[in-house]
Amino acid sequence: MKKLTFKINRYNPDDERRGHFMQEYEVEVPSGHTVLDCLNDIKWNQDGTLTFRRSCRSGICGSCAMTVNGVNMLACETQALALGTDTITVEPLRGCEVLKDLVVSLEPLVNGLYAVKPYLIADAPPPTDQERFQSVEERDKLDGLYECILCGACTSSCPSFWADKEYIGPHGLLKAYRFIADSRDTGEQEHMEALDDKHGLWRCHSIFNCVEACPKDLNPTRAIVELKKKLVKGKVG
Amino acid sequence: MYKRNVRSGGALLWLFQRISGVYLAIVLFVHVILLHVMIDGDVNWGAVAERASSPMWKMINISFLVVALFHGLYGLWIVLDDYINAGWARILVFSLISVITLVFTIYGTITMLTLQVGG
Repeated sequence: MKKLTFKINRYNPDDERRGHFMQEYEVEVPSGHTVLDCLNDIKWNQDGTLTFRRSCRSGICGSCAMTVNGVNMLACETQALALGTDTITVEPLRGCEVLKDLVVSLEPLVNGLYAVKPYLIADAPPPTDQERFQSVEERDKLDGLYECILCGACTSSCPSFWADKEYIGPHGLLKAYRFIADSRDTGEQEHMEALDDKHGLWRCHSIFNCVEACPKDLNPTRAIVELKKKLVKGKVG
Repeated sequence: MYKRNVRSGGALLWLFQRISGVYLAIVLFVHVILLHVMIDGDVNWGAVAERASSPMWKMINISFLVVALFHGLYGLWIVLDDYINAGWARILVFSLISVITLVFTIYGTITMLTLQVGG
């Protein structure tokens, strides 16, 4: 058990005059408690007005992505004591419009995702008596791609996204590559359609912030480079 | 629904940016070795001009100039393109960069071609 100070970036749209401000809370943190546990503790026992998104509390839904001590992470997957600081700063995801406290609008991210048609596109309907066949080797190619939970930690850490809110973003490009790399998918052209665009692939300057930010240890930059190579090969032949 | 209409044509430019980067690294390495490591005595105008006036070095230097200008100014455009969204502003900035590239290429090429020792 240790007493930690939580410095939380607050914002209430009904109180524009006050704007954004930092508010401090003291929490007795037992070993093993996550940042999300601490935020719940504050909301339930100290200040019911504190607003944040959370759902599954087990690293699957991606709702609780936020900036903790300057780094994007899932609050539910991060143990508060393991951060090693007496004061923990919690801010909403950067580059996104703040709706209230730690809740941001994910609309630009959803738009970026839709642009790459993030679903399996196949010429033929699936067989009626079995699933679509995929060999073990073909399935292995999806490792490091399919695990994305669309929390937005990558794209909201990307300077290219900060500059261009219409940029598809690492989350969308990783998802595009997830389907392009899938042996069952035949819609490569459709997934790629939006990529060779001012707001597409070429906005990525290999800054690698997305790799640092991903709570699932995925590598969107690698997926983006694979897509770039694919596009260039298509042009050069 | 997401509206996309600005074709970038970025694929080939991206590829050439990489190729020109590799070329620049090689030429710069040769440049540093020749000019700062292998040279005897001071680096002065005479020594540099003598080498640069040979036809082969004129070719190398002109290619160096063209590739370096492309690499640097296209790099500048990529960075600016992140921040410039209005159509007219993009055309203006891209045109400006293109004109600068063209002027420096012509000016540099003339300088290189007309270079003669003792001329």
